[in-house]
Amino acid sequence: MNQALITPEIPKGTRDFLPADMAKRIYVMEKIKNTFVNFGYDTIETPVIEYAKTLLGKYGDEGNKQIYSFDDNGGRKIALRFDQTVPFARLVASNYQNLPMPFKRYQISRVWRADKPAKGRYREFYQCDIDIIGTKNLLSEAEITRVIYSTFNALAFEKFIIKFNSRRLINDIFASLGISKDKFTDVLRILDKLGKIGEKATENELGKLLPKQSVEDLLRILNIKGSNQEKLKSIESYASKETIEEVKEYLDLCDSFGVPEKNLILDISLARGLDYYTGIVFEVYLTDIEIGAVCAGGRYDNLCSLFSDKEFSGVGVAFGFDRIVLAMEELGMLKQIKLNAEVLVTYFDKESLNESIKIAKELQEAGINTEIYFEPASLGKQMKYADKKGIQFVVICGPEEIKKNEANVKIMQIGKQKSIPRTQLVSYLTGFKKI
Amino acid sequence: MKNSRIKIAIQKSGRLRAESINFLQSRGLVFDEESNNLIIPCEGREIDIISIRDDDIPEYIFRGAVDFGIVGKNVIVENDIPVFGLENLNFGICNLTVAVPENSDIQTIGDLNGMRIATSYPRILSQFLQKNRIHAAIIQIRGATEITPKLNLADAICDLVQTGRTLKENQIKELLTIMQSQAVLIGAKPEPFNIDL
Repeated sequence: MNQALITPEIPKGTRDFLPADMAKRIYVMEKIKNTFVNFGYDTIETPVIEYAKTLLGKYGDEGNKQIYSFDDNGGRKIALRFDQTVPFARLVASNYQNLPMPFKRYQISRVWRADKPAKGRYREFYQCDIDIIGTKNLLSEAEITRVIYSTFNALAFEKFIIKFNSRRLINDIFASLGISKDKFTDVLRILDKLGKIGEKATENELGKLLPKQSVEDLLRILNIKGSNQEKLKSIESYASKETIEEVKEYLDLCDSFGVPEKNLILDISLARGLDYYTGIVFEVYLTDIEIGAVCAGGRYDNLCSLFSDKEFSGVGVAFGFDRIVLAMEELGMLKQIKLNAEVLVTYFDKESLNESIKIAKELQEAGINTEIYFEPASLGKQMKYADKKGIQFVVICGPEEIKKNEANVKIMQIGKQKSIPRTQLVSYLTGFKKI
Repeated sequence: MKNSRIKIAIQKSGRLRAESINFLQSRGLVFDEESNNLIIPCEGREIDIISIRDDDIPEYIFRGAVDFGIVGKNVIVENDIPVFGLENLNFGICNLTVAVPENSDIQTIGDLNGMRIATSYPRILSQFLQKNRIHAAIIQIRGATEITPKLNLADAICDLVQTGRTLKENQIKELLTIMQSQAVLIGAKPEPFNIDL
């Protein structure tokens, strides 16, 4: 039968991952996850599909356009998970009686956005989130800052900057410059693009909304340089005492958590493009590579109220997993990541197969990742296979070795072969792990 | 109740004990060195001499259980515990050495690739091998490494060498030195050792 073949392709903005890539992704994900767990976060899971009404209107106009939505087979309006925070809020609204409060959780799962694909921007990607809800204490903002710091540290990034701002601080500054409340959101949107479009364009855009004096004052404030404390001092007169105190307290707590000053920078122009942040907001940038924010989030006081009369204040951040992987790849930080098998046991012939299986079993039971070759092929072919998979050791098991009760190990990286008593095979191979 | 007596830890038994006692006596401490007690009070001073395993001394200091201790530099490096070296004591001088049987094919550091090296100092050896990009198997044993090549348990050893006599008696020769060691006075704080405190 001559049937037309289907082109093996995947939708724009999505990706397949082969084992070598997956090994790297799992390595990065484990590092991130282990940091979350180290701070006592547990995890939850929510469905990939939500009712569209749950998600629509939560991410601003831009976000709304990017939500994947469709009618399901029963004609219900369904949307794909766009981020993890809104589904989390929905979950809390219906389960809070069963949750310990304050409640903190991590979540690592895929989200979908009909965004324009670009370098480091995909339509299907992973987010790694932590959120703390049920407390307004700044200790939670500070803990999250420390988790961010520890995570990038664990991933071995040397240079990264956690930019933060206070939504209250911005509101105070706007009010003191005479910007009316109804213009806050629009002004924030423009400020959020400052880094992208530059100061001149920002000035023009702001000019359409505000009087010239306000624009000048605003840009002057945004340009204030210096240490975090110096910046705070310079803008003291534009904000209420409580607002300034809040930022100071946050900085003190971060200091107690051991977050170095060089990694934490107050950026008054930082105005996250999302609609739901109300307090401290964060964005993390890598110094050595221009790839955009690799982590972002903040305090959202009003989110759960859309799903419940009960008020839940929350703070959380999402790590851009794919961007982090891409950055690490480009910076050569994932070169040492290998596939899973550490040892290949050869299959010489039918007579020696039993011993090969025995060796493999023994090594596996000792916690050494071991596979056996599936065919009695030439030694050269089996070596090539090991080489292609980046396997470090090949245990050659033939009649000669069996007769002498020896193990013959080839150390692939240096191309050297070593015979040792068969009984020492496990201690020999684990001996390399001690390095 | 706070115990205000100063505690100084020395090796319970082994090569540094006698000289550690000499050193403390030379600084004016008087105590019954023949005593079998693990805590020996000094005469006329608020000071106790504590006898423990030398491997444990850095840990005791880090945890604040004793104030000062005398150990080989090798013990501090191997245990990787943050204590402060206060003074080199110029005794117990020795080398941490990689050694091979006299008839061994291992001639250079590169020949160690793929080999079994028996040692009680896996951390120091590991760092050394890593630095020199040598892929070898570290066979960890607690002591008397010099016997392992004869029993085909190792191809080389990494151990402390003071006079070289033990090596010679076992037909083993030095290949290279990893670090030099001697007795060191250590403390939890970078304060000078002043027993008149």
